[in-house]
Amino acid sequence: MENISGIQPPKQAPAARPPEPLSFTGKGSEYFGIWIVNLLLTIVTLGIYSAWAKVRRLQYFYRHTQLAGSSFDFHGSPIKILIGRVIALVMLVCYNFSVRLQSSMTLVILLIVAVVMPWLLRNSFRFRLYNTSWRGTRFHFRGSVAGSYRVFLLNGFLTLITLYVMAPFMHQRLKAYQHDNSYFGRTQFSFHARAGQFYLIYLLLLAALAAFFVVMGVAGVGSALSTMAHQRQGGKVDPALVLRTVLILYGALILVGVSIGPTFRALITNLIWNNTRLGEHRIECSLSPLVLIWISVSNMVLIVLTLGLFMPWAAVRLAKYQIESMRLLPASDLQEFEAAEPESLGAVGEETATVFDFDISL
Amino acid sequence: MLQANYFDGRSTRVRVVSLSVAGEDLIIAGEGVDFRVPFADVKVDERLGLAPRSLRFKDGAFCEIRDLDGLDTLLRSTAHRDGRVDRLQRSLRFVLFSCVACALMAVVAYRWGLPWAAGEGAKHLPPVIGKTLSVQTLKILDGAILTPSKIDKERQRSLNTKFHSLRLQEGGTPNSALLFRGSLQLGANAFTLPDGTIIVLDELVTAMADDQQIVAVLAHELGHVHGRHGLQLLLRSSAVGAFWTFYIGDVSSLLAAAPAAVVEAKYSQELERQADDYGAALLLHNGLSPGLLADALQKLTERHPGASKAGFLSTHPSTDERMRRLRLLSPSTPPSE
Repeated sequence: MENISGIQPPKQAPAARPPEPLSFTGKGSEYFGIWIVNLLLTIVTLGIYSAWAKVRRLQYFYRHTQLAGSSFDFHGSPIKILIGRVIALVMLVCYNFSVRLQSSMTLVILLIVAVVMPWLLRNSFRFRLYNTSWRGTRFHFRGSVAGSYRVFLLNGFLTLITLYVMAPFMHQRLKAYQHDNSYFGRTQFSFHARAGQFYLIYLLLLAALAAFFVVMGVAGVGSALSTMAHQRQGGKVDPALVLRTVLILYGALILVGVSIGPTFRALITNLIWNNTRLGEHRIECSLSPLVLIWISVSNMVLIVLTLGLFMPWAAVRLAKYQIESMRLLPASDLQEFEAAEPESLGAVGEETATVFDFDISL
Repeated sequence: MLQANYFDGRSTRVRVVSLSVAGEDLIIAGEGVDFRVPFADVKVDERLGLAPRSLRFKDGAFCEIRDLDGLDTLLRSTAHRDGRVDRLQRSLRFVLFSCVACALMAVVAYRWGLPWAAGEGAKHLPPVIGKTLSVQTLKILDGAILTPSKIDKERQRSLNTKFHSLRLQEGGTPNSALLFRGSLQLGANAFTLPDGTIIVLDELVTAMADDQQIVAVLAHELGHVHGRHGLQLLLRSSAVGAFWTFYIGDVSSLLAAAPAAVVEAKYSQELERQADDYGAALLLHNGLSPGLLADALQKLTERHPGASKAGFLSTHPSTDERMRRLRLLSPSTPPSE
């Protein structure tokens, strides 16, 4: 096993090593210049430059992310990202048209998308990991094509026919497929979270939502009934009071609406990383739902108020918080990782040429 | 002397080295590392803010450098020149220029680019798309806010005949289908589906003084059909929706805004004027006065003072100005105040 994992077994009882926190040193003001220049170039080239802009963006974020005094890096080729984007765009357009037009072609197009998608997603994982490195050693994704069909198609189908009862299970299988098949150099990641833990988070949030709606319902109906009773007794209804009640209820609804996403993200991300190991090294993640809600909501408000100009600061803020909430708990020296042998990559052409990147954000 | 971390690309071992330049060569020396390479073979990472930069060698090894000022000093003694985008990203003047240019382009794209692209797109979309969209939209509207018409069949037939016996300037008669529907929410209104089908609501029929006024409103709607305005608006709203989805990264709003877009469409003033002009010319061509359309508008204004109720008027801005224009086009009716 130690040959494959690339880690030499500890000679004596492992000394307690201090945790290695991830740190992020990027700054919004610094990123702004990069962002706006690349935005302009993207517009001027009618979007073609967006692939190059994306490489710059990822390199900015990766190189500012540091672990044990060394940066991560991104090596993706813009041309391949461009090809990936063209494919993604074509599929998006086909999908939209087929959903809207509902003709005899709809089923055919949806079927083609369903068949091609798992393969594309798997290649996109490969591309992203293969082009990520730390200290010059690259990450790898070696998930099989069959595995991706099982995870995306079979489990997706099961989720649908069980009316989403299996969604947490599907989520767990997806993460297991991703993390169990990931490598850093020769060292394999492993995923230990059980489906039950995913169910717990899903159910917790569902219960919280249900409780919220019950309280809302009781408050809404209660205040409506008391107003009506008051009116029946000949009392005057204060329109300001009614308005205030409605506003409070509406505000609570919005508050819950914007909180549910970040809360879910924080809990699930913590679960996933706290149960992922790199060889014998453990990983810790401690996102706070409240902080994530605050960052998401304030980012959204500021982006709208500044007509989008706050975007780079928002991206940096979110990245900094998310990255710095993670720590590596080393079991041995971090100098010991070895890069994978070139031949164990399989055909280099396969590794690097059949790649598609699916992230179509700016 | 510039300090750097050297990685051989095969393991994560860090080796502290120092870099210096001698003639055309870069010298790397430190723990167990001692070699020199021609600087022409070294790839220099571009600057990305204050992120560490690397000097990369052909065998996959590289030096990670945190002392950016030191690296600049070292690079100055070589033939290296920063990339163009690298320099632009650091130029305050170009960053400010980019801000202004992006803002300007956003305004231009929204104000002129989008309407132009939508117009061209609507012209070239295959008719089957408009047809399918219309069938879908009508099905959704019929289930939601439209009710069967209460106008008796005889009246419907006679309006249909009058409408279809209009002679178009481009030759022939209208081939738009005319459908009658009732609606509680939409008031006195008529609207056009992407394939050219015109839907007339009961309240519009009862609001008009005579059939000629109804025909005048239909002539205006034919202007929308002729310019494919329905399809244009749909394309516009899809493009705006897609842009925001792309920009903010929210995926929910992209699908199926079609039914709402048709009814609540805020036809831009420009499209309304085009439809008015087309309608006026069509009326003249058929020996009718464009004043009829002005009269119809007048009727609707009286019906909804202040145009508060959602209906024909709310989607058609500055009615007074439109009536004035139409009356100016009429040969028989003098322009009225």
